[in-house]
Amino acid sequence: MHVVMISGAARTQSKSNTAKIVAAFCEGLHNGGNTSEIWYLSNRKQWESAKTAFEENENILFALPLYVENVPGVMLEFLAGLSAKEQPGTRISFLLQGGFPEASQGRCCEGFLKTLPAQLGCAYGGTFIKGDMFGLSLMGERIGAKLLQPFIEVGQRFGECGYFSSEIIEVFSIPEYFSEKQIRMTNGPLRYVQRFIMRYIAKKLGCKIRLDAKPFCEKDLQDVQE
Amino acid sequence: MRLLIISTLPKEHPLAEKAICCLAQRAAECKSFYTEDMKVNPCIGCNACWLKTPGICAVKDDYEQILKAYLQYDVTVFISDTALGFVDYKMKNVIDRILPMATMYTRIEDGQTRHVPRYKKEFRFGLLYAGNGNQAYLTHWMSRFCLNFHGISLGAFPIEAWQEVAVCML
Repeated sequence: MHVVMISGAARTQSKSNTAKIVAAFCEGLHNGGNTSEIWYLSNRKQWESAKTAFEENENILFALPLYVENVPGVMLEFLAGLSAKEQPGTRISFLLQGGFPEASQGRCCEGFLKTLPAQLGCAYGGTFIKGDMFGLSLMGERIGAKLLQPFIEVGQRFGECGYFSSEIIEVFSIPEYFSEKQIRMTNGPLRYVQRFIMRYIAKKLGCKIRLDAKPFCEKDLQDVQE
Repeated sequence: MRLLIISTLPKEHPLAEKAICCLAQRAAECKSFYTEDMKVNPCIGCNACWLKTPGICAVKDDYEQILKAYLQYDVTVFISDTALGFVDYKMKNVIDRILPMATMYTRIEDGQTRHVPRYKKEFRFGLLYAGNGNQAYLTHWMSRFCLNFHGISLGAFPIEAWQEVAVCML
């Protein structure tokens, strides 16, 4: 099977979490003897080739980050430029990643993704949602590799059937929600740990002010009104 | 009540014109942004607004005045075209850029993780759309979008219903 993968991330390939996930997914996909080609919508020079690849191939997988409960504007622009296929036989699947840990955060976007293939004359190959990916580029190589490991296996499983089966989703797309105990921990002691880590990362990135700073002071807002 | 209108439709769109005029008349104060006159680039997901320059977007274009206006006005009405049953990419690009309104910090509220808001502001957002939008989905999406920004959704309505909407939203 040859899979056309289109990354809908807006972030440049070298800094993109989605690109890292796609690379891990392809590693698993290729383990089963499958082949792939990858197009990045963050690079507009690739849009025409991505469009041609969509038109000429039957196994399409969009990988995307969750942006305000749906697909990034950049990907939406690309999708709106595609023409619906007249011949049946193409299947579109989606790999949706987000920063929040719960898969339930991606369900609103999934609701939209489900409608897309039919609008483009294609069949739906399922949506695999994986959260907790915010730290992929920020937490160092060791943690990054650990976060990417499931995608290698998911890629291999996807290669066996060509879509995201319910078995793949049930095993890997977790947690749907946090347990009561996890909620207590997260809102309790882990909250301070999280803030410490965030401040540490921010400092490393050159941030010199509070992460909860309010840069638009009253004076700025009066300017808008005028 | 101070009203902010952000329209990604052309200025001369007849229904948008009527809707904006009617909404403005019902508000004590109204400011409209027509993005066709502005440069609003897509969010590039760099996270600078969370981790590097908190609250400030790294993409330097005309968007910052919209960010400030979100804080200044009581209600925001988005007016958008649709594509694939959803808002079109122009409006999604506008909404994707709202991230500086949240902080990087998170906490769990009502069973789901949410960003801690940056400002003490209860946003009220509504959507008027032209074209073949999926109203049920758009309504759901607006409520989710508002939930994550600690706001209240005023709903999503076809622009043809602008008269009723003006009464309901304002």
